[in-house]
Formats: sequence, C-alpha cells, structure tokens
Amino acid sequence: MRKDVLIIGGGATGAGIARDLAQRGVECLLLEMGDYCHGASGGNHGLLHSGARYAVKDAVSASECAAENIVLKAIAPFAVEDTGGLFVSLPQDDPDFADLFTASCRSAGVPAEELTPKEALAYEPGLNPLVVRCLAVPDGSIDPFSLVQANVDDARSAGATVLNHCAVSGMTVQDGRVVKVEVRDRRGGIPSSIVPEVVVNAAGAWVADVASMAGCHVPMGLDQGSMLVLDGRQGRHVINRLRRPSNGDIAVPNHTSTILGTTSRPARSPNDVAVSREDVELLIRETSAMIPSLRECRTIRTYGGVRPLLGGGGREASRSFAIMGDDKVDNLLSVAGGKLTTYRLMAEKVTDRVCELLGNSSNCRTHLERLGPSAEEKGGSISLARLRRKYGRAATSIDTADTRVLCSCEQVMRSEVTMVLNNGDALTLADVMRRTRAGMGYCQGFDCSLSVLEVMMDRNDVDPVPSLNEFLRERERGLTQATGDQLRQEILRRHVLRGVYGLEGME
Amino acid sequence: MRRALVVGNGAAGTFSSWLLANNGWEVTLVGRGTPSTAMSAGCLRSQPNVCRSEIMEFLSNEMMPWTSGAREGLSKMGTPYRCWMSPPHSTWKEGETPKSVAVVGLEGHPSLLPRVTSAMLNARGIRAKPFILPRSVPSEVPPTASFPGDEAWGALAEELQKLPSEAIMLPAMASLQDYRMLDILELRSGRRVLEAITPLGAPGQRLADIMLSKAAGSGVTIWDGRKVAALDVHEYEVRGATVVGGQEVRDIAIDAIIVATGGPLVDGLALKERNISDPFGMFRVVRSNDGLRGGYDSSNGMLIANDGRSMNNAVGAGDCLSSEGRDYGSGLTEALEGAYLAVQALEGS
Repeated sequence: MRKDVLIIGGGATGAGIARDLAQRGVECLLLEMGDYCHGASGGNHGLLHSGARYAVKDAVSASECAAENIVLKAIAPFAVEDTGGLFVSLPQDDPDFADLFTASCRSAGVPAEELTPKEALAYEPGLNPLVVRCLAVPDGSIDPFSLVQANVDDARSAGATVLNHCAVSGMTVQDGRVVKVEVRDRRGGIPSSIVPEVVVNAAGAWVADVASMAGCHVPMGLDQGSMLVLDGRQGRHVINRLRRPSNGDIAVPNHTSTILGTTSRPARSPNDVAVSREDVELLIRETSAMIPSLRECRTIRTYGGVRPLLGGGGREASRSFAIMGDDKVDNLLSVAGGKLTTYRLMAEKVTDRVCELLGNSSNCRTHLERLGPSAEEKGGSISLARLRRKYGRAATSIDTADTRVLCSCEQVMRSEVTMVLNNGDALTLADVMRRTRAGMGYCQGFDCSLSVLEVMMDRNDVDPVPSLNEFLRERERGLTQATGDQLRQEILRRHVLRGVYGLEGME
Repeated sequence: MRRALVVGNGAAGTFSSWLLANNGWEVTLVGRGTPSTAMSAGCLRSQPNVCRSEIMEFLSNEMMPWTSGAREGLSKMGTPYRCWMSPPHSTWKEGETPKSVAVVGLEGHPSLLPRVTSAMLNARGIRAKPFILPRSVPSEVPPTASFPGDEAWGALAEELQKLPSEAIMLPAMASLQDYRMLDILELRSGRRVLEAITPLGAPGQRLADIMLSKAAGSGVTIWDGRKVAALDVHEYEVRGATVVGGQEVRDIAIDAIIVATGGPLVDGLALKERNISDPFGMFRVVRSNDGLRGGYDSSNGMLIANDGRSMNNAVGAGDCLSSEGRDYGSGLTEALEGAYLAVQALEGS
C-alpha cells in the first residue's frame, strides 16, 4: 500500500495531524496500536488548561494553552464543559505567590480575575472556608475520548484512512529514508506493509520506541501521574491549588464524576502506570484541603498515565513540545511533549513541516472549522445534549426511540452501543466503554459487560472470553486500591466473577 | 425458657435460629437488608462434613425439591459450575452433560445473554444455539413479568417444543411459588429444561425465602428490617440488646447471642478505608488484606472480647467470622456448618 504520509499513534496529536493533513489535501494513513487515546491522551486529567498552571514556570506552555483553550472551546464545544477554574490558596501556602501568579498570568496572556474569599465561597460553596486568595481562570473539563473520535471522524470525511488496533512492528531504512513499514493488523483490512513518502511518529510515550525502529534516537523523559475518580460532581469548577505546581493540586468535574490528580514520578516504561497506596492517600489529603468534603467521597477507581516529556521528567520538565527530524533519516518526523490542551497546535506545526517536505503550500484550517456542535445547541432536548457531550455530531444517528438501558450506572442506552459498533472502530469491550462510558460507573462494568458483549456478538465475530477477560483485568487494575463502599462492591464482583462464573485465570 | 438473640437473616442466622428453636429456646431473629444468601446462586458448592441431615431437613421445601451429590450445571456465562446441592433444574448428575443446548433469552434483557453463553458452550464442545424470545421486557424488570399466568407458560412451552436440541437453557426467573412451572415446561416441551446458574437473582432469593419461612415455622420471632444498635455486656456475658427499627426502640433481655451478620460484603462488619471493625465495638476482629478472609476472632465458637478473653454466651457464625480457608463462592455450606457448631457451643456452655 502506498501512502503519502503514515502517522503512527492515534492519540490526540496523531488524530489532529490526520485531520489537518486531510484538510490540506494530503493523502494519509493513521495507525494506532490499541484504541484511540490508548496512552496519555486517555490517561490524563481531562483538564482543558487555561495556561494558568504553567504561567509562573513555563510562560511558553502557558501562552500556548491560553490560545488553544479559546480555539478548542470554539471548535469542539461538545467535548468541553466550560466550568471555569479557580486557583485557591490556604493559610499554609505562601501568601506572596498569588501576586507572582497574577503577574505571570497577565504577561502570558492568561485571563485571571481575583475574587474575595467571600465571592469565592459564593461561587464554589464547597471550598475550604479558610481560603485566603482565589483567582478565577478559564479552565474547563474536556472529554479526550469524544474529542479524539471527532478528529478521527472528521479526518475520515476529509479523505484520511484511520485505523485503530493496527501496530507498526518494524521499519526498513534505505539510503537515509524509511522505505517500508511493517504492520501487525488486529482488525483486518490493510496489507502487512506500507510504503510512505513521510512517516510521522506521534506515538506519545512510545515515541522513542518507534523512532528506534528506524535507528533514530529521541531524547524523552517518561513520567507517571496518578489520578482518582470520585463518584459524583463535587464542585462546579475545576479547583486548583494556588501554589507552585505540586502533587495533588487539581480536582476536575468530569461527566458524572470528579477526577483528582496528579502525582509525578519517573516511569520505567510507557506501561508503568501503577498507582500506589501512597498516591491515593496523598491525592485525597491534598485535594480535600481545598474541598473538605472530598475526604468523605467514594473513590470509584484509580488510574495512571505516563506523560511523555521533553528532556527529563518531573515537575520541572517543560510542558512544551518539539518536532524532531533526524540527520540519518530524511522522511521521519517525531513529535514529543505537549499537553492534551495544545494537541491541535502541535498537529498544526507537524502538518506544516510535512507539507514543507511534500511541497504542499496549503494553510491550516483546523482552528477555523468546527468538529461538532455545542452540546446545549439551541432547539435540542436534554437527552440530546447528554448524547452530544459524548458523541458530538454522531449523536443524531442514535435511535432514541429505543430506551433500553445497558449500563445502569452511567445510563447508557443499548442504541448508543449499537451506534458505536456501526462506526466500526470499537472491537473490544474497552473500546465500547471509552466511547459510551458503559463500565465507567461505580460497578466498573460488572453489571453491563455481559450485556454489551451480547450486543457485540450479534454483529461482530468476537471471542467472548478473551474480550471479557481483557476488559475485566483492565477494570480490576483500577480497583486494587478500592476502599470503603467501593471495596464492598469489589468483593461482590469477585464473588460473582470468580465464585460463580469461574472466570479467574481463564485465558 | 432460655432466650437467644440471633443477629443476621442469612444462612447462618436462620439455620441457627431454627436449630435453637427446635431445641426449645425462645429465639428472636433480627435482620436488616439483603443477606449474601439472597445474592448467591442458591446452591451449596461443597458437601457438609457435619449436620448433613439437619441441613437437608432445614432446606426441604414442597415447592422446590432439591438434588444432591456430584452435580454439574452451567453458569449464566456458559462456564461450568459444580456443586453438591442444587434445585433440580439447575444441575445434572455428573456425566449427564447435554449434547446440545438451545440458549433462550429475552431480546435486550440481561437475565440471560444467549449469544455470549452459546459461544462459550460451543468453545467447550457443547453444541449450542442462541434463541431469542420476541418479548420486550424492560431490563430492570424480572423476566417473569413476561409470564404472568399458566397460559403464558403454556405458550412458552409450545415455542420451546420447536427447538431442535436436547436441552433448553432458560434464564433463572422462577420464584419459589412458580418453580413447578419448570417441570411443566419440561413435560410439555419434551426437552430437558435447565435454569442458568445465576447470582443476584431468583435462585438466591428462593433459598433465602425457604430459610426464613423455615425459621418462622419453628416459632422463631422474626424482626425484619431492624438493627441491633447496642449490646448490654456484663463481665463477658451479653445480657441484653437494644433493637431499633424506624421510630421503634426496644430493649430485650437475653441469655445468649449468635452474631451472624455476614462479612463486609453485606455491611455486617463496619468498613473504613480498607479496615474492618466490629460495629458493636465489643468483640475482637482479625484484619486481613483480603476483604474475604477477615472477621471476628473466636475460640471454641465463642467470640473474644476486646481484652482478649473469651465471651461466655456470645458466639459467631458464617461470613462474619475470620476464616483463612474461605474462597469465593464457598460460603453457604461453611455458614450452615458454622451455625450448627455455634448452637452446639451455646448448648455446651
């Protein structure tokens, strides 16, 4: 198969590049080894940064975030909840930091408005009443799954070929060029080797691994961050701690839950995502200092992500990004670093470079054209708004007359699952979950996984045991630190899956 | 007459109440919520080592005869399920595995997923085909709603008759009162009728219904939906209890207590973070990293006070006791045996 451009990696950046290239008339193929958002694009906080968090230390990232924040709210309103964000300081925090913070936000172009403690408590009644200073910024909550799927769908309708569950397994380099790329295809439908003009390596945490297939070296730091999902929305805003970026600074309302994060430790590999007991305790301790009620909330699950950072890892590392060519290989570009918030900008810069290589002079339009409607667009019902939040444009193709519910925790309808399966990208239970949220609620897929599997088996050739085991193992990883009522739920889950269904250890 | 308070309305609580009442005790059974017995698959996995005949008598019921021995069945997932005692349509005698099964479900209803189950069975060498009944039942309503009377069951039998297989696997939907319908289906359809082994549904509820009605039938006073809020303890002897329910608060005098409140799963033991503790604040608890194995400490059946001394008239039974050997799904037989031993310990004290 010949293609102008092969993009490796179906995270936000890769999907954004595919959309941009296709809009500029470049023939491209995107391959993702797992599902879209399989790496850091899925394993993150779901925070649409205003840039304020980086204003003091990293003015470049802050300005990039500030500009993209406005762009994403305009082009992907369905995926963004415009909650606004608050930065709050407590008596134990450095009182002068707020002044430095305000000045840095101003010079980086991040709008920040100071509220009195009384105003802050009126806006966000759950805040610690001892709040000293509070700044309001335009942070938001963003759904990476619907954002990336919308990029994929848009890229396809502009002519791109986008395939998940296809892994690049090797590259042949001849005379300083990648001439052939080997593919391991799990979904069927493409030949086992690709002959591209240009290869874009947007593999996120795997970027160094992919580059090494062509004999190239990409200097990367891998950094693990832990997050907790709490039941229910515990605040109206994104709540940040007004201090130098540290662990456990942020609580983000997300769909039916609140996500607490994050931590930072060096990761040994892109798969080193395990969350420790200490991380859980730290996150609850630190975030509940800002919102005391978080201490009493039910933690549904924990998850980790691995940040691909430029240079070294850790809190000191830059959150900016870089596009790297290689002296030895002319037609390979690697992109690394960056944030979910700046994915579109990264994609634009990469696409500019690719177009330069191909002699294409078209301009970027991804910041001008919408990926989908606003969830609350005029004339829509409440139920349509709920579906738009998850599916953007695709929401209108769901048969809302069929009201049967498959996942009672997240109230996912059978017709949502059917729509997602019709789209063709969802091969596994986890794929369906990422798109529909079936399995993300407090029973963690225990109740709905069999029903979803039944619908899948009606349409696809699915092997039920591996599919179920893969899904349940992934969910179980998030439950190893379960406490209180969620631990009760977990004991019940094990009684049923192991005791009655005998599913443990079945491969 | 000796007065006993039994706390917990599951297998251990009802069986020990029934045994005590038969031994001439005046028994009050206090329970709240759904015990794990009612969430179980309604079968005994392992054969009891003690009190087998007492268990058989306790569980016997004219609406649903039991089968016992080396039994095999199919879980709702299509995986094999082995047990010692089960309702007759849940299992077959070892070696009598059906060659072909029609897996019958209601379209879009979670009670049985015919495509998943059939695929699982075929992978195991049992010829299976999914068969979807064209009845629309909302997923939160039990499938029996679709079979309101004899006529509806008759129509189902006619549909099943057409299926080209030796056996028919149905969702577990028959209540205790309806159980005979499965015999009628078998007679009319001419096929072996199997009920999928299903947790959190009708089978566990049937078992809990039988146990509670047996206890009530032997003269046990059952205070349902109530909670023992406090115990009156004098020098290692429980002499009274405060029982609350709604607006009502009652203090009762007792000569012995059986604690059969279940493990952390059913809210019997208090659970804070990952640690279990005694909600009465009276008895010593053995903690375990595995939520399945922790529970009350005991010595010769008697619970242990916080200072390490054995109680004189307080025993524990069932999942609330710590148990190293326990495994997922093995609890019912252990709970019944534990109840028997608890009663013996009280009689001996």
